[in-house]
Amino acid sequence: MSRPVGWTAALLACLAFFAALVGLPFWWVLTGSVKLPQEIIARVPTMIPHSFTLQHYQKLFSASDYPVYLVNSLIVAAVSTMFTLLLALPAAYAFFRLRFPGRALFYRTILLAYAFPSIVVLIPLFGLFAKVGLVDRLPALILVNVAFALPFAIWMLRSFLAGIPKEIEEAALMDGASLLAILRHVMIPLIAPGIASVGIYAFISAWTEYVFASVLILSDAKRTLPVGFSGIIGQYQIDWGLLLAGASVAIIPVVALFALIGRGFVSGLTEGAVK
Amino acid sequence: MRTMLKAALAGATLLTPASAGVAQEKIELKLWHMEQPPHRVQRVQELIDAFNAANPDIVVTQEPQNWGEVYAKAPAAISAGQGPDLLFAIPDFTPILKDIGALTSVQDFVEELDAKHDFVDSAVDAYSYDGGVWAVPLYNMAMNLWYRKSVFQEAGIEVPTTWDEWKAAAEKLSADGVHGIGLPANKQLYTDQTVYSFMVNGGATEIYNEDGTLRFNNPETVASYKFYADMHKLSPADSTSWTWGEAEACFSSRSCAMVLQFSVIATYDSQAEGDANDLGVAAIPHAEGQEGHHTISYANAVMLLSKHEAKLQAAKKFVSFLLEPENYGRFLNMEPGLFMPVTADGAKAESFWSDPMVQKYRSQVETVIKNAENGRLFGFTSGRTFPSIAAISAQNIIAETLQNIVVNGQSAEEAVAAGQARMEDVAR
Repeated sequence: MSRPVGWTAALLACLAFFAALVGLPFWWVLTGSVKLPQEIIARVPTMIPHSFTLQHYQKLFSASDYPVYLVNSLIVAAVSTMFTLLLALPAAYAFFRLRFPGRALFYRTILLAYAFPSIVVLIPLFGLFAKVGLVDRLPALILVNVAFALPFAIWMLRSFLAGIPKEIEEAALMDGASLLAILRHVMIPLIAPGIASVGIYAFISAWTEYVFASVLILSDAKRTLPVGFSGIIGQYQIDWGLLLAGASVAIIPVVALFALIGRGFVSGLTEGAVK
Repeated sequence: MRTMLKAALAGATLLTPASAGVAQEKIELKLWHMEQPPHRVQRVQELIDAFNAANPDIVVTQEPQNWGEVYAKAPAAISAGQGPDLLFAIPDFTPILKDIGALTSVQDFVEELDAKHDFVDSAVDAYSYDGGVWAVPLYNMAMNLWYRKSVFQEAGIEVPTTWDEWKAAAEKLSADGVHGIGLPANKQLYTDQTVYSFMVNGGATEIYNEDGTLRFNNPETVASYKFYADMHKLSPADSTSWTWGEAEACFSSRSCAMVLQFSVIATYDSQAEGDANDLGVAAIPHAEGQEGHHTISYANAVMLLSKHEAKLQAAKKFVSFLLEPENYGRFLNMEPGLFMPVTADGAKAESFWSDPMVQKYRSQVETVIKNAENGRLFGFTSGRTFPSIAAISAQNIIAETLQNIVVNGQSAEEAVAAGQARMEDVAR
């Protein structure tokens, strides 16, 4: 059965519209970052650059601490993601498989972490971290990022684990595998798309986290990208070229991550959705 | 004799590390400022390096912060014992730290510096209340009217001096896709500043009565808002979300014929045509019946936070160093054309006027300095400074009042009355 031509055209137009809606801002940022300053702010915007320069990138990497912020962000996001997964996997498996008193209550309680806006816990957390010498140290951010990503990660992974047929686990048990061995050698490979989804979620959460990073970090050398970059841009006078170049570079790690495990992420999303 | 010599040598040997230890004990000062753009950080570092080299017993380090976070971050850091020894400030930031007991008056120090450098009175006034002076003024920023001389000439327009002339000029310049004026209407500090620039020229300078009650809701304030809302109709549609950068871009791209801004010099020079002869700057026009031109001015200052006497003295030494004419110009010119001197000798300093950008735009800079002499800041006028101004300013109630008119369609009378109610609410 073939689709009417009019219907196909309407569908394509619709798709093109939404693709443009999502893609044009990225196109604008990327092309703007290689335009001359005068063209960036020109009264009549140019979608195709009439000029080409790398001066904004040059300034970004040579005259600012952007590379330092970038490295800090990569460290914080990567380590936060790793710890989130390392903690969420056994926790999710425990909530899924083990029977212990208060399991259902604990499972629901962990989501209470999202009941408090981060700004509410910011100052008490600052005082706490100051007492243990964690202020102005990247581990403080990793700790916070993991704490805030963990509840959702556990919930999501548990729903993926619930989708694995029980017979597979039983077969492993029959072969004498321990719970940890089942998790490591059976369940983890089977929920790889779910792990990819949670990993991307944890990475992006840490990559874009602003509130805690802005207060818990005091020195320039320890700043992460969102905070450091907002300072580079300036308040009264904005260097638009620098802003666009910095924004372009900032999306690269996220795009790279999606490119690497994007297929797993999409598959993970759909699998999680039908549980 | 030999034994004595040995003993002396042994004593000297024992003393040497101790002496070296004393010599190595340096006073460490942490400076927080909010001048984060790389070129400003670099200039501050150059000055710090020069100071550290000249004062081997003191080590100053800088930790640039962001205005967006420092209001919450500084009190938290100070409470946790992680705060700075020197912290840059604007007038409405100081009461917050004063209220938590982080500040001691620096009146004597300011008087000493005043005798030497002669501070602009309004700069000191903004930090003088409750029987003390709570910060040392460092630089000034004042709002001005920026335009292109050639655009005015082509339209046959003289520089406006009154509101009627201003409106007529903006209307005449609104043609061929150009907006006669670019005014913000965002709920943000920039709008607070531009609205107050109208208010001071409309006879609505004071927002407090002498007894601390609010007098925001008065006919002069209402008239100022009405006029602002009228002028805003000639601004771009997206100006309801503008901050300073968007206004500058609008002017630089010739989309706006006039803007109110502290300075457009750097952007005009790097992102527009950069023709110094064509860049016009004037005092903000005043309402009919009012006399003299006024503007909003922000005297930025530095607060000395250390309770440790040796550190406090070292911090004073550093501030004195910055205000010395041979250093002061370099400090101000971390952003040429934006930061203006707050001392008489600083305004004449060779180090200030020798900067290539300042030389190029000398006439504009001179006008800006002159305009700043009539600077006022809401909540810091006529000695009527009350702690609630910090909350009023932090919540951008002046800008919110404007949004109620231009976005929510309230009348100026309704919006100003609601604005006063909000101010009274947050002041409690």
